[in-house]
Amino acid sequence: MSRKTKEPKIREKVKFTPALWITQLVMLGASALFLAPLLIILNYSFKTKKELYVGNPLALPQSLNLTNYENAYKKLNLEVTFFNTALYTIVSVLILALLCGAAAWAIARNKGKFFQFAYLYFIIGILIPAQALFLPIYIVGYSTGLVNSRIGVILMYVATNISFGVFLMTSFMSTVPVELEEAARIDGCSIYRTYFTIVFPLLKPAMATLIIMQSFQIWNDYLMSSLYVSTNRLKTLTVAIQSLFSAQSSDYSTAFAAIVISVLPITILFVSLQKYFIKGMTVGAVKG
Amino acid sequence: MRKMSPSLRKQQMQYLSLVLPGMIIFTFGLIVPMFLSFYYSLTSWDGMTVEKPFIGLGNYVKLFSDPYARNAWWFTIRFTLWNTIIQNVAAIFMAVALDSGIKGQKLMRTIFFVPCLISAVVVGFVWLKLYGNVLPALFKLMGLQGSLAMLLGKEETVLQGLLIANNWQWIGYWMLIYLAALQSIPSDLYEAAKVDGANAVRQFINITIPMLAPALTICIVGITTGSLKVYDLLVASTNGGPGRASTSIIYYTYSTAINGRQYGYGSALTISVVFALLLVAFLQVKVLKKREVQM
Repeated sequence: MSRKTKEPKIREKVKFTPALWITQLVMLGASALFLAPLLIILNYSFKTKKELYVGNPLALPQSLNLTNYENAYKKLNLEVTFFNTALYTIVSVLILALLCGAAAWAIARNKGKFFQFAYLYFIIGILIPAQALFLPIYIVGYSTGLVNSRIGVILMYVATNISFGVFLMTSFMSTVPVELEEAARIDGCSIYRTYFTIVFPLLKPAMATLIIMQSFQIWNDYLMSSLYVSTNRLKTLTVAIQSLFSAQSSDYSTAFAAIVISVLPITILFVSLQKYFIKGMTVGAVKG
Repeated sequence: MRKMSPSLRKQQMQYLSLVLPGMIIFTFGLIVPMFLSFYYSLTSWDGMTVEKPFIGLGNYVKLFSDPYARNAWWFTIRFTLWNTIIQNVAAIFMAVALDSGIKGQKLMRTIFFVPCLISAVVVGFVWLKLYGNVLPALFKLMGLQGSLAMLLGKEETVLQGLLIANNWQWIGYWMLIYLAALQSIPSDLYEAAKVDGANAVRQFINITIPMLAPALTICIVGITTGSLKVYDLLVASTNGGPGRASTSIIYYTYSTAINGRQYGYGSALTISVVFALLLVAFLQVKVLKKREVQM
């Protein structure tokens, strides 16, 4: 299985047949429908309370008022929640990158029974996603005192995301040439040195994919973080946004401003790095 | 066991030390909880007391006679089946359409994809407001009855409303997977088919669909496991209502265990979800993989 990125097919100039015209129109309509909710969110986030209930719902607001954003910023406790979410996401993802890369390499380079077992063992976590096990994971966290602690949340994210990481990295491992490693080994490099000086630098694109895929998972998580952190000081953005939703259900222009604030960072990240993201999603879907 | 030279043994130990840290965290974070859950499911533990009274299979007997659990499973299964059908069909057609040479392909791809970057809690709230406020106001302007749009407020339409929201969020994701698979199909296959006189429909059935089989496996399993665990979407939209019409199995587990303090029974519900997921995995290996090989 080679995981090289395929160059997009070079097409000859496509003739616009009637069928293609219809396809073009249908897809334009579909993308308009998909885009509409996003535009409505943006539009409503600038509306005043009066504009929420009077007049055409699609009309643009009279002025670009930012009071909703100011309110949302305060209600979300944004400095704290943004910092927490970023901290949990970054630290867990870095630990995941370190653990998954090393584990996947050891698994890919050893045909022994234990390493094959280790691979299947990790795969259990893909078949049974952590949300299904939220209750026992919470109980274990609670009884070991890891609930309501930063280390606890991070460990929980590492444990619940490691399966996908190992799967992803193992499937990338076949693109790493063994010859280089063997040469290093003959020169007397230890396993660790071989990994960190020869293999790790070659894994950069795969690591980028892993980091982006998992950041997005952890950034958006609600169920696990709502159970693991309940004190205000440790809350994440999604938990804060959910409590804002239940408090601001009627004044939802503030809620929509909060949505814009929470969605913007992850969207910008994706649009600038979509190449890596798509690579991570399509592992296993494309026969190389 | 074969005798190993000391240097080879040392090498094996070093490899082992690269796998073990991850395995240990994974074991304590996920595998131990899974087995503990099975143990708790045999007790009537309320989550507070130290002793956990053993009641054997009592919780499982209760699970089969509990109309709320049946209701939650029924909702979850319908949600899962509809998602699997709609998302796969829509994603395949949209991928083929995007790959057919239309203009603005890249921009459309991004538009379809962006919703899946949004947290499901947010998606739920956005559609709650769309159905409850924005669309009714729009309908009124068009001279229609506003309540027609309030899909989440009625028991009969709440599933449809949630399906629309969920599909809006995820179709673009699966579409990208199909798109990547489509673009990896060697074009000489199509050329050979054209020489043999196959029309576009025959090419789609005989080349495109079989070549999409690995992607189809990934998508079916991804959508089923994703839908079976639905929870976040419901938190800010329906809260499981109206009545209990949109209570999913995870939602029911949460309210039983965390709010209702029935940890024993909640654990039995958890085990029922684990079994459902293992069944999906088993079917994947048995049915989908076998068909892939045949093709």
